[in-house]
Amino acid sequence: MTQTTNATGHPAPDQLSAYIDGELSSGEANEVQQHLADCHTCALRALSTTQLKKATAGAAQRFAASPEALGRLAAQLRPQEPKKGARIYPFRSIAWAALAASLVLGLSLFGWRQVHQANALSAELLDQHLATLSSGASPEVISTDRHTVKPWFQGKLPFSFNLPDPLPPDTTLKGGDLTYLDGQPAALLLFTIHKHEVSVFLTQRSGGPRVTTMPSVRSGFTMHRATTQDLHIIAVSDVNPADLDALVSALVQAQSLH
Amino acid sequence: MSSAPSSASFEQLALPLLPSLYSHAFWLSRNHAEAEDLVQETISKALRAFDSFQTGTNFKAWIFRILRNTFLTSRTGIAASRTVFLEDLPDALDTTDTSPSPEDHLIRLCNQAAVNEALDRLQAPLREVLLLCDVEELKYKDIALVLDVPIGTVMSRISRARRTLHQLLQSQLGKSL
Repeated sequence: MTQTTNATGHPAPDQLSAYIDGELSSGEANEVQQHLADCHTCALRALSTTQLKKATAGAAQRFAASPEALGRLAAQLRPQEPKKGARIYPFRSIAWAALAASLVLGLSLFGWRQVHQANALSAELLDQHLATLSSGASPEVISTDRHTVKPWFQGKLPFSFNLPDPLPPDTTLKGGDLTYLDGQPAALLLFTIHKHEVSVFLTQRSGGPRVTTMPSVRSGFTMHRATTQDLHIIAVSDVNPADLDALVSALVQAQSLH
Repeated sequence: MSSAPSSASFEQLALPLLPSLYSHAFWLSRNHAEAEDLVQETISKALRAFDSFQTGTNFKAWIFRILRNTFLTSRTGIAASRTVFLEDLPDALDTTDTSPSPEDHLIRLCNQAAVNEALDRLQAPLREVLLLCDVEELKYKDIALVLDVPIGTVMSRISRARRTLHQLLQSQLGKSL
């Protein structure tokens, strides 16, 4: 950038371009400026170059990023902040994070197991109850007499139970069946309350399903669950919950009468 | 020049440059998805190398250089580099004043569509240097840093880019008349 004019006495294209870009030293810029004041052709060239520079800037800006793309890129800049914290207390942070993660994982697994088991059990209960509703199915022991039904189970189950006497109003014993619930032998007692079918499952508490929570309603059927000293009692029906509760309560009370 | 800038300042420095980085990446790759990928890769490289950035130097030039190198190692960049660019050779026509002088160029420059078309037809290396100068408003010394060429080469390349752009506009003008 030492010589501002070429052999013809006009500024070389490189010099004129650099002049427009403000890249010449003050001495060189003054020299070019003086020439432009006297030379119409070079003044036009300079004006043309200035306009071209402006037009280029305008034309190039037509490819702008979408707001979504800019958002994604900006988000990429942010994750560095947690890293800074980790740098200050790397071990402690990692240890706490690991502990927290294992706790969350443990609780989640426990919760998942509970929910999974509860869902599986309630599905099984509902399936068995629906099976009793089908017209072709009839219980092994058909009797409204509790002195017939209860002895039928003796020798078939590793536990015994009592049937309430009397039953709650408009509640009738229809019969009983032997079944399996969650892999455990269970007594299935069939009742009707106001003509609504009710299935009651009795299992041994020690070996029975260890589910602490269970949905109280599934597919429109109410499920009531109670526990006595020796038994798990689960009743399934579409009868109103208060009547179902009365039957379950009567069954619970009957177990304490010996 | 002091070194080791605070890592917190990276976001402050890079955030305002995202639109420029994207736009330049698009001009290099001519593809929106690729432009975004290029900028993402540039950010992650720059973040990793930020300790080597010297405060007091031009951050924009520094990150544009990373963008350019990222592009050159991309598939599109490798393909583009196979195109031979006969630049920086003495221009046979440069001895006389071949730059456009007539007023018709001034009229033509008002037509943005014509400039768009001419810019699209410009050779990529010439367009790149012109964009860094006229759009990104980088100084010649910073452009030299981005392109990794001497400052004299930047000066002659910008001048050549403008003359070529003029010629393209001139030929378009000839066609339209």
